[in-house]
Amino acid sequence: MNWHQDYIERYKKLKEQGKSFFPYAVLKDTIMAFFILALLCWFAYHFGAALEEPADPTDSNYNPRPEWYFLFLFQALKLFPGNLESVAAVLLPGLGVTFLFLLPFLDTGPERNFLKRPFFTLLGVGTLAGIGYLTYQGTVSPLTNPIIEKDPLVFAGQRLYVSLNCSYCHKIGGKGGSVGPELDKVASGETEEWLEKHFREPQSVSPGSTMPKLNLLDDEIKVLVAFIKSLGGGEGFTEEAPKVFAENCAMCHKIGKEGAEVGPDLSLIGTARDKNYMRKYIEDPSKLNPSSSMPGYKGQLTDVQIEDLARYLSAQKGD
Amino acid sequence: MKLLWEWMKSRLALAEIWNALFSRHVPEAEGLVGWLYTLGSASLFVFFIQVITGSLLAMNYVPSPDHAYDSIRFINEQVIFGKWIRALHHWGATFMVVVVSLHMLRVYFMGSYKYPREATWIVGVILFLLVMGFSFTGYLLPWDQKSYWATMVGANIASQTPAIGSYIAKILKGGDEMGAVTLTRFYAIHTLVLPGLILVAILIHLFLVVWHGISEPPQKNKGSDKKAGA
Repeated sequence: MNWHQDYIERYKKLKEQGKSFFPYAVLKDTIMAFFILALLCWFAYHFGAALEEPADPTDSNYNPRPEWYFLFLFQALKLFPGNLESVAAVLLPGLGVTFLFLLPFLDTGPERNFLKRPFFTLLGVGTLAGIGYLTYQGTVSPLTNPIIEKDPLVFAGQRLYVSLNCSYCHKIGGKGGSVGPELDKVASGETEEWLEKHFREPQSVSPGSTMPKLNLLDDEIKVLVAFIKSLGGGEGFTEEAPKVFAENCAMCHKIGKEGAEVGPDLSLIGTARDKNYMRKYIEDPSKLNPSSSMPGYKGQLTDVQIEDLARYLSAQKGD
Repeated sequence: MKLLWEWMKSRLALAEIWNALFSRHVPEAEGLVGWLYTLGSASLFVFFIQVITGSLLAMNYVPSPDHAYDSIRFINEQVIFGKWIRALHHWGATFMVVVVSLHMLRVYFMGSYKYPREATWIVGVILFLLVMGFSFTGYLLPWDQKSYWATMVGANIASQTPAIGSYIAKILKGGDEMGAVTLTRFYAIHTLVLPGLILVAILIHLFLVVWHGISEPPQKNKGSDKKAGA
């Protein structure tokens, strides 16, 4: 690289012609520091630091909103539905960071003026514009994060299941004791009312059962029921569901090879959304995604049909 | 008194340090461009604010799920200036991200990462990632709804990494579930691991800035003249 030597010589001259760091640069730095301190105090005084309710791992209604400078990343997640989420979540930021690390070895010419490095200037401006646009989109649309949507009640129920040592007698996914029934095969098909009664007083619904009465709190029963119901065994849809889909949804949505491509392809929707989310979305899409042009089906379809459809869709996992 | 000063000057090489750091000449940068050159030192300044306010907060904070939230309320309501210090630390974090990003953009668009300052840039990128690490780990500490669920999302995003995702999430959370271990882990990372790393990175970054000299503002003509001559 011929220009390296020239640059060092030219820089030496520029440095000699320049001013002493103290006091000239230090003065500017100090003024800047005071300006920032003043601005920071103003923000701290006017906005303070919020403190919300204590963390509640069982609160399924809480919709997390990230710090504003991460908003663009969350908004980007929405552009990559289903299995492609990892593209937005990991691959793009990973590529960005790799690019930053490699930058000095990609742009190696002597030119420093941004007008004379049009490629890198455009790349920078384009990235900034993209981040700006996504951030704006993120602030105007309420956040429903695709990854988080697994029900927190289920998490809490799972934790309780572990801490109560239920697996001493029960199997889930083939793991656990064999005194009681295999929960993912049997219990998840029961109704919520049945499960609730069962947790309160096992013998009242299963005469002769050796399951002990656990004296659980109402909240604990709620999360356990949610957990058991989430295991999926009895969560089947009826054979009506594909027909309902064909009649009402297929003009816009695709599953496998059937259907149109006006709206998103739903072949893998079950990997990203659970049944409850699908039900809410079918009932009224605008609540979860204001920019959606899909109509709401509450009233168009019966609640039973919507539930059935939601189960059908949440079972679409591409296998 | 004078004797003490002379002793310190000779034993601590104060004059030499002063010459190397403060009497060094820097290329002229005038007008608005000159002010863009203050963003680096501004980042350092905000870092100091974070160190001071963070240390004060750590004195009253308890990193356990049972007490974290209450200790924040204690800081807000009982500690003298506690509310203020927390607000400063909270907004300081935002300022840090903004100032560091602006600094990075200045360097990017002025092409200051070019020879001979490639290493300075790379250490700068590491510093940027460390700042993001501070932001992510600090967010959980108040243990309120927002911090809990936002961190849950963050951990879930990390778990999306192909092949090793679930391990990363497990290491972050300290297990399958988010709980007491996650909180102490984030606290240790936020107050011990990252400060150690960032101090080393800052020192290297500053040393390189002084060693290579601060880059001169790009000139419209000189660059191409040089190219013709090269």
